[in-house]
Amino acid sequence: MTKKKTRKPKAALITVDGVDAAAVLAEARSALGSGARGGISRWDASGVFQELAVADEAAGRPSARTLLLLYAADLAFRLRWQIRPALAEGRTVVAAPYVDTAVAFGRAAGIERAWLVNLFRFAPRARKRRFVHASSAHAAAVKDGFVGFSGDRITAGAVKGGRRRIVADTAAQLRRLDRGN
Amino acid sequence: MRPTPAALRRTARAHFTDPTKRRGLLVAFEGPDGSGKTTQRKLFKTWLKSEGYDVVTTKWNSSDLIKPIIKSRKTVRALSPEEFSLLHGADFRHRVEQVILPALWEGKLVIADRFLFTGLARDVARGLDLDWVLKLYGPLLWPDLVFYFSVSPVTSGKRVTATRMPSFYEAGQDVTQVDDPVESYQRFIARVIREYDSLALIFNMITVDAEQTIGEQHRLIRRLFLEGRERPWSDWNADAVAEWLGNAGNGTRR
Repeated sequence: MTKKKTRKPKAALITVDGVDAAAVLAEARSALGSGARGGISRWDASGVFQELAVADEAAGRPSARTLLLLYAADLAFRLRWQIRPALAEGRTVVAAPYVDTAVAFGRAAGIERAWLVNLFRFAPRARKRRFVHASSAHAAAVKDGFVGFSGDRITAGAVKGGRRRIVADTAAQLRRLDRGN
Repeated sequence: MRPTPAALRRTARAHFTDPTKRRGLLVAFEGPDGSGKTTQRKLFKTWLKSEGYDVVTTKWNSSDLIKPIIKSRKTVRALSPEEFSLLHGADFRHRVEQVILPALWEGKLVIADRFLFTGLARDVARGLDLDWVLKLYGPLLWPDLVFYFSVSPVTSGKRVTATRMPSFYEAGQDVTQVDDPVESYQRFIARVIREYDSLALIFNMITVDAEQTIGEQHRLIRRLFLEGRERPWSDWNADAVAEWLGNAGNGTRR
């Protein structure tokens, strides 16, 4: 009797990064494709930022560095519960957003590259990295997702101009990352 | 125009080395659970106040912003070692920016009941890489004095379990996989103490034999503080202060 060979499905991690959460999600759906075995891992699956959103203002605003530590904690959660299990089953996972959005945000806030590289050392490399770019004018209107959320809450001494400025600068950093891709 | 990082570092140096002002001092109390450091911290604080110091205390995992996030996850035992480490790093960073640096800038004396070495010892005992964890805490803020309360795993275990059952993460049950919290604590604290002992050597902490009497320890701490308080400000702290000054333009300082 001959055994029928079954092809093991190929696991793939695809990442989509950008400042506009809605556009990133649309691109993630497109990257996943219809009928594909897999899923999308989205920002704040752990609910850390939801809790931050309802924190008392008197607790003091978080700095960009604090927000990035929280982003990394959320990403560690997503890797543990969503991304790694799906990859282990041979599925495609689209992480939207992933590391590049956080790195771009950190660079826009003046945080040194070496610290950011170390912070995300635990995150596996993606097979494909996609970027969703936004014009400066469009970026300025972004309120949702990690960058928009953080822009409204960050201690803004380092980012004069508040949310509009940090979102636009993050978008510019993402274009740089994409060019070096 | 925004001041450059170099300009902010100059401002930090000038402020903390001004000979006409009493500069802020940061004293950290480190050691495993059951080493008696909280008792010593309270005695030390009372004495410092009697000496005319304006004292601020900060405890591990006490940021008003981050502590509730950690607490809810600990309750449901939902933290991996990486998440545990990163969330405690966020809590620490927020306290550095909101409590410690503002107090030091105003010339106060800050007592930290546990400092970043707690994070390092516990995270490495959980199997994480020391280099990765240490860099999470950057830009580093070094205390002027670190008292390390050295105690054996057996003494720590006896003192902790004499009055209560160790909690899930305190007992390291997330990594030992041992059901009995007391047994798990004994195994985990031995690892934590091993890491603490290494860190005490690497970072030149002042080791206090925590098996001595409370009075003996307190007298030693007073003497070592009086000897150590005239140490010059560490320029290693310039980056941390400069970043805080850069952020302080809007909302960092309560």
